[in-house]
Amino acid sequence: MKNYARIRTLMLTGLLLASVALTAQTTATGTINATLINKSGIALVFDSDPGGVALGNTGTAAASLNFGTVSAFGPLSAGVTRPTVLAGSYTVRTLFDVNVLQGGGGSPNYTLSANLAAAAPVGFSYAVDAVTLTTAAQNVQTNGAYGTDVQHSLNLTISTAAPGAGGPAVGAPLTTTINFTATAN
Amino acid sequence: MRVSRKLALRACHIVACCILLAAAGRAQSSSAQLTLSLTVQSSISLIFQNNPAVGTNGFCPLTNAGTNNVGLDLGTASFPAGSDSLACVSYAHVPPAMYQVSSAFDVVVSKANSSSPNYRLAAEISTAPPANVTWLINNVALNNTAFTQLDATDNYGTAVTKTLQVQVKNNVPAQTLLETITFLATAN
Repeated sequence: MKNYARIRTLMLTGLLLASVALTAQTTATGTINATLINKSGIALVFDSDPGGVALGNTGTAAASLNFGTVSAFGPLSAGVTRPTVLAGSYTVRTLFDVNVLQGGGGSPNYTLSANLAAAAPVGFSYAVDAVTLTTAAQNVQTNGAYGTDVQHSLNLTISTAAPGAGGPAVGAPLTTTINFTATAN
Repeated sequence: MRVSRKLALRACHIVACCILLAAAGRAQSSSAQLTLSLTVQSSISLIFQNNPAVGTNGFCPLTNAGTNNVGLDLGTASFPAGSDSLACVSYAHVPPAMYQVSSAFDVVVSKANSSSPNYRLAAEISTAPPANVTWLINNVALNNTAFTQLDATDNYGTAVTKTLQVQVKNNVPAQTLLETITFLATAN
């Protein structure tokens, strides 16, 4: 009888040990020490304005804007207006948007400057908002808000003089490039 | 020798640190280009203006003066009455049985980006008038089938006075006479 009890105790102990051995697993741990330098930066893109000419490559930093055929008295393309016609000159205008995106934070707003890539052709004067452009960069806005379309006007003042007499060339396509720079404040 | 080498290395480190600090302190900026294109075209415009003598007999005021779409009221007239309801309208009896009412105004044509030295002016009425009614500009009768030339070499930017005349024979039934007169300036 005593032997039977011993055997039963031994068997139970064996079963317990076996179950513990089955549930225990081998584990290992490791860590990755990752580092990322999040540098601050800004990016400028042009967007079409609802009230202006539809830009080519809108949403990029290399957009194009076609005024179409302009004249002092004739019809104008959609999105182009003619706010003034004077004896010596007339102005055609369109609207475009500048959107400056910021990453990294730290800057409350930006300064926008613009300049002509080359001297203005004879009979033309270019202005962004109220700033007449030259080949030297000039501030157009000093407190631009990030992450939103900021509307600007592009004004071309054209002499009414005849070609060769101080007026622009007539009937020939003309291309001008304006450089814009946004600088974080 | 070793000391000077160490000093040189330290100097290099300091210079490198300064460059890095300067780079870190530089303002962030982004550049973009907008390319414009356009074609300039020559153009001319024509507007009607009140004559400086407006309000006196023979010079009625235009409505919407200073534009290319104006109105001119010649009032009410009749053959035997010998006058017009408006004092500014000039009334004349044209023997034997016709009357004429008239009023003068100015035409101004401007040019831009053009080498044209002058322009020619023509006019046309919109609809055929009733029998025995004639519309004239400076004594030149107009019709509704083609432009009738009024001037061959008018100067740009100078007011040219034109007189609109309506001649009505005594056998024309009473009615309202209405015409739209189109003026055409063409660069020479």
